[in-house]
Amino acid sequence: MNAFFSQRRRLLDVWYLRNSLVYLAMGLALVYTLFPMLWMVFNSFKRRIDIISIPVVYWPDQPTLNNYIEVFVNRGFFIQLGNSLIIAITVTTISLVFGTFAAYGLARFTYFANFKQHISFWILSTRMIPPIVTLVPLYILFSTVGLLNTKLSLIIAYTGFNLPFVVWMMKGYFSEIPHEMEESAMVDGDTRFGAMLRIAIPLAKPSIAATAIFSFLLSWNEMLLALILSDTAASQTFPVALGTRISQHQIFWGEINAGGVVAILPVIILAFIVQRHLVRGLSFGAIKG
Amino acid sequence: MASVTFKNISKRFGNVVAVNNLNLEVADGEFLVLLGPSGCGKTTTMRIVAGLETETEGEIFIGDHSVKGLLPKYRDIAMVFQSYALYPHMTVYQNIEYPLKIRKLPISERRELVMIAAKRVHLEPELERLPRQLSGGQQQRVALARLLIRNPQLFLMDEPLSNLDAKLRVLMRAEIKHLQYELGMTTIYVTHDQVEAMTMADRIAVMNEGVVQQLAVPKAIYNDPANLFVAGFIGSPPMNFIHGDLKNGNFSGKGVSIESVGGGTREAVVLGVRPEDTAIVNGDGGHFSAPIYSVELTGEVTLVNVHLGDGIFSIRADKDFDGTIDTQVNVRLDSNKAFLFDSNTEQRIRA
Repeated sequence: MNAFFSQRRRLLDVWYLRNSLVYLAMGLALVYTLFPMLWMVFNSFKRRIDIISIPVVYWPDQPTLNNYIEVFVNRGFFIQLGNSLIIAITVTTISLVFGTFAAYGLARFTYFANFKQHISFWILSTRMIPPIVTLVPLYILFSTVGLLNTKLSLIIAYTGFNLPFVVWMMKGYFSEIPHEMEESAMVDGDTRFGAMLRIAIPLAKPSIAATAIFSFLLSWNEMLLALILSDTAASQTFPVALGTRISQHQIFWGEINAGGVVAILPVIILAFIVQRHLVRGLSFGAIKG
Repeated sequence: MASVTFKNISKRFGNVVAVNNLNLEVADGEFLVLLGPSGCGKTTTMRIVAGLETETEGEIFIGDHSVKGLLPKYRDIAMVFQSYALYPHMTVYQNIEYPLKIRKLPISERRELVMIAAKRVHLEPELERLPRQLSGGQQQRVALARLLIRNPQLFLMDEPLSNLDAKLRVLMRAEIKHLQYELGMTTIYVTHDQVEAMTMADRIAVMNEGVVQQLAVPKAIYNDPANLFVAGFIGSPPMNFIHGDLKNGNFSGKGVSIESVGGGTREAVVLGVRPEDTAIVNGDGGHFSAPIYSVELTGEVTLVNVHLGDGIFSIRADKDFDGTIDTQVNVRLDSNKAFLFDSNTEQRIRA
């Protein structure tokens, strides 16, 4: 009996040790990713003197909202925040609608010979060039058609970068959904399009949600194209506007951090909205065997 | 309900011939089983009927109408898939209702029909549950209910029982057969399970390599196989085959000679005899003597396998048979119930 308990004891010790190491590693990873965000939040409430003071001040004695007021009231960055939102939402919507249809076609139908593989590869190949390479051609293109300094130019450019990504993500998901369900729907009297709308797309909801987040982030975070293609206050995006707070003479850390806090909010809200759909396994129990 | 006619149906995938010049007629109200090993083209045949695959050549008629080029929705058929293909995001009720919803029937009428279908397959208590919360047998019933809710020209079933456990399979087999009889529904049923085929079918079409090997009632398939493939595929344990020659109606093979099994003289024949048409005899009167390879007691009988030539020969012996491996036994077979096949063409040699 004693031997049994001591053996058990030893096993438990190993288990605790291993678990605590895992938790330690996870803790370090969390600190590494979350501390900069916390630092940003703290800084956004600090006066300038507190931001650059040594020894380091974490939470200021006199928290202030001046940074927020400066960014959004005095400088009116609401407009650029709105631009960013409009662009990101439009790009996400367009890419998802077109990308989902394209992906469904590529996942479900066979075209003559290997044509399908070639189309898929061609779509993917557009992502193989770094976006910066296309910068100058895009600039010339948009300036020729008179689209510089418009939101439309950014929407077109971002959709171009986003679509291949959406197509490939969704293509993978659609291939995973067993095709018998749609076939059954068609035998039951539905059209191919109806089977897609009523069967395949509801089942792909988790994937659509995940793709939507990535797509939104891609255009929300983009800085380089936005910086070059739109230079007026009316068409600038939020990241570009915040960039102007780094001037020749000084860097407005407080304002940049306040802007940063606001910039991450839409993403967090979006993640909360769709996280319910992010749980996979909806298609479990549909197909046995 | 309607009859179905296959006229010269062929289907090729690239160089692979899945179905080769199939001609078949399914009568109104008939239960036809397509039976064959996997890859024999039976599922492809069914999918062509449903309109999920397009035939490379030929034409299919449902009733008097050709369905060539028709979308599945215009063919007026209902189908159960091997995987059941239930819609996982819909409740049982919505699953059963789906075909009617697509046809835009009024809600009250739909409700009534769903209830009737659910009652028929004993699913009323499960209507608000999701497919994944159901057992395999219940999922199967949902698929059946979805089939029964319409009144189509033709029912298709693609190995509907293969995912069920053995006990449930026997139960559902009887249930499907009974429903088919009660509703008089024309049914094409695909399976690789010969027991299912034998027990359920009005007629069986045994398929191999895209060709129907034999089309007949179950009894004839079993008692009068047309060729080596059908003879070997039907029956469990399978038929014994002995290669040899025929001289004046007497068969002689490696270690065996049997008198008066057929007529004439010819070389390269295969003699087939089912295990139940053989016996172990004491003393003389056996056709050959061989050492025991294995003994399997199944309860009602004892299966004895013996070495014969390079192969194994199965005998269905009495359940009281007692023998140890390697002991020599005398085997007698019923020469009246032996079949002869040409070993080159694999076709039956009829006396």
